[in-house]
Amino acid sequence: MRRGRLVVVAVVVLLGIAALFLIPGGEKAEFDVVEEFETHPIVHLPSIGPVDLSVTKPVVYLWITFAIVCVLAFFINRGIRDVPGRFQFIMESLYELARDSIVGSVMKSGRKTWFPYVAGVFFFVLLSNLIGLVPLPFAEHNNLGFYTATANLYVTVSLALCTFVFTHYAGVRKNGAVTYVRNWAPASAPPVLRQLIWVIHAVSEVFRVVSLSVRLFANMLAGHAILAVFFGMALLFQHYAAAALLLGGSVLIYLFELFVAFIQAFIFAILSGVYIGGALDQEH
Amino acid sequence: MDADSARLLAAGISMGVGSIGPALGLGMLISKALESIARQPEVSGDIRVNMFIGIGVTEAVALYAFVVALILIFVA
Repeated sequence: MRRGRLVVVAVVVLLGIAALFLIPGGEKAEFDVVEEFETHPIVHLPSIGPVDLSVTKPVVYLWITFAIVCVLAFFINRGIRDVPGRFQFIMESLYELARDSIVGSVMKSGRKTWFPYVAGVFFFVLLSNLIGLVPLPFAEHNNLGFYTATANLYVTVSLALCTFVFTHYAGVRKNGAVTYVRNWAPASAPPVLRQLIWVIHAVSEVFRVVSLSVRLFANMLAGHAILAVFFGMALLFQHYAAAALLLGGSVLIYLFELFVAFIQAFIFAILSGVYIGGALDQEH
Repeated sequence: MDADSARLLAAGISMGVGSIGPALGLGMLISKALESIARQPEVSGDIRVNMFIGIGVTEAVALYAFVVALILIFVA
């Protein structure tokens, strides 16, 4: 840009910032960060024992994710051409990512058997994280609000329990129950050390459920909490300049949340692949 | 110091001290990945994939501290 134009742009920007400080404010709006994460029943259904069956916000989001996954699968099946359009190109790239980078690079045996589960978990968690970045009218008083199904610990524990059950099912089916459990400690270790390693490995197997679920849950929760705090701060200061600055900051945080959504789905799927692959071939 | 202020102080300390370890770990991990990419640029795709796995696992430890802080503030 030439010198003259640069000076004009700088003067306009400075005048705009000065105007932000001088405009009189509007009315105060209320925004509570904690309210975004409470789950109230939308449709009350009766409880069976200790399990409450009413439809809450995470349930509705899970249904939305399921519906969108089905719709995407239906449309990609119908529209496969030899020369891919944009939609087919994106779906093929995600499929290749799941097939080569996730299942192909991490599992040695059992790729064909377990590809549906690992790729399915990848697509489901990815879609659920991405839907959490679209404002939908399920916040209180039917306002538009951000919420992710995976920002709920119950949802992520269910997904991690699926991986846990499939890991041990795959290991027991291939190796036999007693051999599988005995191989948690290597046979070449001395006697007392072998029992110790076995105990440590058993504890770490149980902890995998916790770590898988808490990693996804805390990443999504922290991201949405930061977004909610930035939006709330933009309303808190009652000042247009602060609001403009904070909304700019929240756009940057939103882009980072997009990146985190992809990374967390990728990591959940690839760790599921590592655990299932590790249970299938146990000689380390 | 009553229980409520001790609770909030513990939440702050948990998040503060609990992110030292993962931050150091992430720095070491990413610097090693960068070094190996500089040594052998043709395997940078593989190294990048494994680096992201390592980042995910290491960052989870910082998030455990975050969850403990949240439990202290909102649940305890």
